[in-house]
Amino acid sequence: MKQIFLPIVTPLAAALLVLCAPKKSNRMKEALALAGAAVNLFVAASLFNKNVNFSAPWLGFGIDLSLRADLLAGFILIAAAGFGFLVTLYSLAFMSDKASAKQFYFYLLVTLCLVNGAVLAENLFLMLFFWEGLLLTLFGMIAIGGKDSYKTAIKAFTIVGVSDLCMMIGIALTAHLAGTLAMSKISLSFTPMAGLAFTLLMIGALAKAGAMPFHSWIPDASLASPLPFMAFLPAALEKLLGIYFLARISLDMFRLSPGAWPSAMLMIIGSATILLAVMMALIQKDYKKLLSYHAISQVGYMVLGIGTALPAGIIGGLFHMINHAMYKSCLFLTAGSVEKEAGSTDLEKLGGIGLKMPVTFACFLIAAMSISGVPPFNGFFSKELLYGAALERGLVFYAAAALGSFFTALSFLKLGHAVYLGRIREENKNVKEAPWGMLFPMIALAAGCVIFGLWNKFPIHNIIQPIVAGEFSESMNAKIILATVIILCAALIHHLVSVKLRKRAINAVDNIHHAPMLSVIYDKAEKRHFDPYDIGLKAVSVFVWSAFLLDRMNDFIYNRLAPGCLGLAGRFISRSHSGNFATYIGWSILGMLIIVIFLMRGL
Amino acid sequence: MISSFIIAPLFILIFDRIFFSRSKLRNVIYWTSLVFFLAQMVMVIFPVERFMFCRVDNLSRVSLLSIGLVAFVTVLSSRQIMKDDSKRRIFISLVLIAVIGMNAVSTTRDLFSLYVFMEIASIASFVLIALNKERDAFEGAFKYVLFSAIATVFMLSAIGLILLISGGTSFNSIRDGLRISSHNFLIYFALGVFLSGLFIKGGVAPFHGWVMDAYTAAPASVSIFLAGIATKATGVYTLVRFADSVFLLTAPIKSVLLFVSAVSIIMAAIAAFMQDDMKRMLSYSSVSQVGYIIMGLGCGTPLGITGAMFHFFNHAVFKSLLFINSASLESRAGTRNMSVLSGMGKKMPVTALTSLIAGFSTAGVPPMAGFWSKLIIITALWLSGYRVYAFIAALASILTLGYILKMQRRVFWSRPADKDIQVKGAGFNLVFAETLLAAIIVSVGIFLPFWLRVR
Amino acid sequence: MLLDIVILSLLILAALWTTMTRSLLRSAIGLASVSAALTIIMFRLRSPVAAVFELSVCSGFISVLFVTAISLTNPLTRSEIMERMKDRLNRFWYLPLIVAAAGLALSLMNVEIFLRLPPAEAERDVRNVLWNMRQLDLLGHIILLILGSFGVAVLFKKQRDK
Repeated sequence: MKQIFLPIVTPLAAALLVLCAPKKSNRMKEALALAGAAVNLFVAASLFNKNVNFSAPWLGFGIDLSLRADLLAGFILIAAAGFGFLVTLYSLAFMSDKASAKQFYFYLLVTLCLVNGAVLAENLFLMLFFWEGLLLTLFGMIAIGGKDSYKTAIKAFTIVGVSDLCMMIGIALTAHLAGTLAMSKISLSFTPMAGLAFTLLMIGALAKAGAMPFHSWIPDASLASPLPFMAFLPAALEKLLGIYFLARISLDMFRLSPGAWPSAMLMIIGSATILLAVMMALIQKDYKKLLSYHAISQVGYMVLGIGTALPAGIIGGLFHMINHAMYKSCLFLTAGSVEKEAGSTDLEKLGGIGLKMPVTFACFLIAAMSISGVPPFNGFFSKELLYGAALERGLVFYAAAALGSFFTALSFLKLGHAVYLGRIREENKNVKEAPWGMLFPMIALAAGCVIFGLWNKFPIHNIIQPIVAGEFSESMNAKIILATVIILCAALIHHLVSVKLRKRAINAVDNIHHAPMLSVIYDKAEKRHFDPYDIGLKAVSVFVWSAFLLDRMNDFIYNRLAPGCLGLAGRFISRSHSGNFATYIGWSILGMLIIVIFLMRGL
Repeated sequence: MISSFIIAPLFILIFDRIFFSRSKLRNVIYWTSLVFFLAQMVMVIFPVERFMFCRVDNLSRVSLLSIGLVAFVTVLSSRQIMKDDSKRRIFISLVLIAVIGMNAVSTTRDLFSLYVFMEIASIASFVLIALNKERDAFEGAFKYVLFSAIATVFMLSAIGLILLISGGTSFNSIRDGLRISSHNFLIYFALGVFLSGLFIKGGVAPFHGWVMDAYTAAPASVSIFLAGIATKATGVYTLVRFADSVFLLTAPIKSVLLFVSAVSIIMAAIAAFMQDDMKRMLSYSSVSQVGYIIMGLGCGTPLGITGAMFHFFNHAVFKSLLFINSASLESRAGTRNMSVLSGMGKKMPVTALTSLIAGFSTAGVPPMAGFWSKLIIITALWLSGYRVYAFIAALASILTLGYILKMQRRVFWSRPADKDIQVKGAGFNLVFAETLLAAIIVSVGIFLPFWLRVR
Repeated sequence: MLLDIVILSLLILAALWTTMTRSLLRSAIGLASVSAALTIIMFRLRSPVAAVFELSVCSGFISVLFVTAISLTNPLTRSEIMERMKDRLNRFWYLPLIVAAAGLALSLMNVEIFLRLPPAEAERDVRNVLWNMRQLDLLGHIILLILGSFGVAVLFKKQRDK
């Protein structure tokens, strides 16, 4: 078999094996899942840094079975496989007592298969096939969370489904404009039609990555679904895939340049996502939900980076993508540990467990510093690249990114303080450190953060830069570094002062929450007034209502009017058939006269 | 032309009257007539002139085949429906006489003979309708007689005029006479009157007044025969024969045919919706389907006439099947009132299934035979430029399907009413007749395309 | 000549009887005898084909038809007949007027009908006409007579059963 098929076939085979695993033995399916993920990792590693192409005619109409593994694809592939392996490992401990574990592993492996397929696909139609398949596993993974998760699953399904539909149209439009479905052959400049196609494709990519306004299912899912899912899909794989595709369309398929209007559009979406999501994250009082808002907010940086259309920005965006996947997965995994050991993720019920769970706390610290952009860690370097590019495109974008950074730091100070520091609560007295199966992935990811931070030149130069055509300046802008440090210090000071004033870490950001204008907006946001899904639902209900009226009208025509007319005519005809033969004879003679007169009229 | 189609039944009839008049062997006529009808079908399908004593063309063959088939199933099922032996004997004798008349009509080439034998068939039918000595039956029979008489008057006067113009009564001499004659006025007058007479015989709107009462009032077995073939082989077949080999189908005649057929199709289909009596509904449907045959004829193209004759055969099959089903309901469940009947599907599965098949054939639902004939007719209409009529024909199929499904739903598919209707067991003959006809419908429908491809 | 006159007067007598009698059955028989007389006249006028048609159609099965039809009806009483006559007069008084008006109009229009007819067929022997040319019709008439008698027997028997 061709080597390039292995990343697709291996997880699928493992998934099917898991499905076939006997019910009685618990370890069997777990062993199978782990083995599948491990083999997948191995296969992905073997494909890394290779250029493999495969193409075979398939359905006709330009739809070929063509796969391609280049540097970008190989990079995403190995990252996805790594996360898949770590999450599987983590799940062994986390999911051990859950009934739905089997389904979970099955979905996880199928997701891996589909992600690999979507990344490797060279043909747009083939990619769409894998992309849409992810919709199903997404639905399935959220839905196994429990009773309440169904609603969330449907919400996610609707949002992602609608945006996938947009992408489908976009693909059709692109194929029409370019005359081919092969990604490598498409190269469009921005005519209005091509702009529309780009926008539609972008909607699909952004929705997958979870940027605003396609984000609203993620916070809901964070509460409802199994936690490894959060670490796996919204935090890691979906970002990888969405940003991968965004990079593909911006770099390869469309000639995105700083002057083109889609660039500005992307930057605006990115900045808005950063700010709005982080503002929401700031006030959350639940560990997982807070993290999920950050998962949205961080997408903004990546979109902003790619949107700048500058080499530095794009490299920063891609670097941030992989960094984010690491630290956000790590953060979610710490949340999982806390949930499993302390039994809750509500900040009100947690406190001071840092000493009881030192390894978890350490991992959290590293990951939190990464996400806030504290210097030696990886988040700092990717953000520096982004800041530089954003500043080059306009002060506004830089300001938005920097402000986002400030709030990020603020919210993580609050979170860390509230959960791990402070006085220990009564109910948390018996909390123990998480088992090694869960600790290992966290440690691995935290180590990744440190490594990518300290030796940041290695991934940037060896992996990411070859992807992007064009030069970028190596040197860091000293002013920007200074500004970053100042922002971080400001956040720290604000936190300390605020805690001093309000006595509790959890209330550290109340001055922002209850600030005059903001409190009203926050109120409404908490009540979901801004959720596009809910607004959409309202619009849909209006639409449904009018459709219902239309349907009633149709029903009236088909059930009342037509049979009514028929009945009327039928009754009239029946009544005229009175059985009186004189009448019948009259008709006959009349008919005869008419026929004869008609026949003779022309003579 | 005196053929075996006329002599043989006459012989059977007289033989039975003379030798078995007082004997216990009352079923001799039953078996001999069945054998004769079978022989007629076989003779027509594999034409052997030595046994027929005459030459038949394809038009006659279709008609003779339909006559043989319907008479066969009528006599076959009468064993179950008509329990009284002596009455059945009379019934079969009358059917034989009617078959003589229709066979002669189908084979003759002479206008006057045609007329005489048409009268034979009509009078036999008339006695058949009155056979049950009920008030309704007399009324139906009386209407039939009256209308028959009017048709006779029309046709006789037309024949007189035609005789005057052409100087002969054989089809060939009439055709030649009409062609060379300059008396267009008289010809059209005669044709108009003659057409009206045939319309009355065939039961086409607005000449259809007698149809419903006659079909409904007739005894169950009789209406199978009457609706299946008796009125069609006289009126409709003659019309086709004339259009084929006597008249010139000029534009005004075509438009008369088309218009009259469109009126019958739509009017009767709408009226059929409102009926509670199953037989009355079916008789309206009969008027509507005759409209289709005449519509095919009205195209004037060979394709149209082919479609018309195909539908003629199909109509004979599915309409006699539907009437057998109604007779089956009447004799086994005790009523044919559709507002009383309910949930018969469970109790009479064969009847329910076969009536669905026949109904689908009536409406022209694809795998059935009726689909192909309707398709041919509509295609012929479309090709010869009568788009509006093609549209009407297609649309009326929906109406047909509507009333057929309504009938099915009310009688067979509904939930059984509180008052349970007791159902007697079906006899072999009835089930056999139903299955035979249903099998013909389905197999013709399925195998026709293959058969056509072979040709 | 004398024979002709006798037959003609017989015909008129029969026609009068047909119209005057109150029994439908008798009037049907009268009609049959009218056409029988007409047949004889046609024979004497050397038109055998027309005579055969007349005999077979009118005195043959039209009579059969009438008789069978009448056998189905219930005879009316005398008073009923009178009542109906009055009723008919009240309802259809205008019919004779219409007929008269139509006749008047036709005569005023002075329509001349000129038909160019094909030459009449040569005179033929009656036997030839009956047995060679009209064989099938003859058979038909025989069947018709059988049918008529059969039908009347069947239906009358039932009437008696009632």
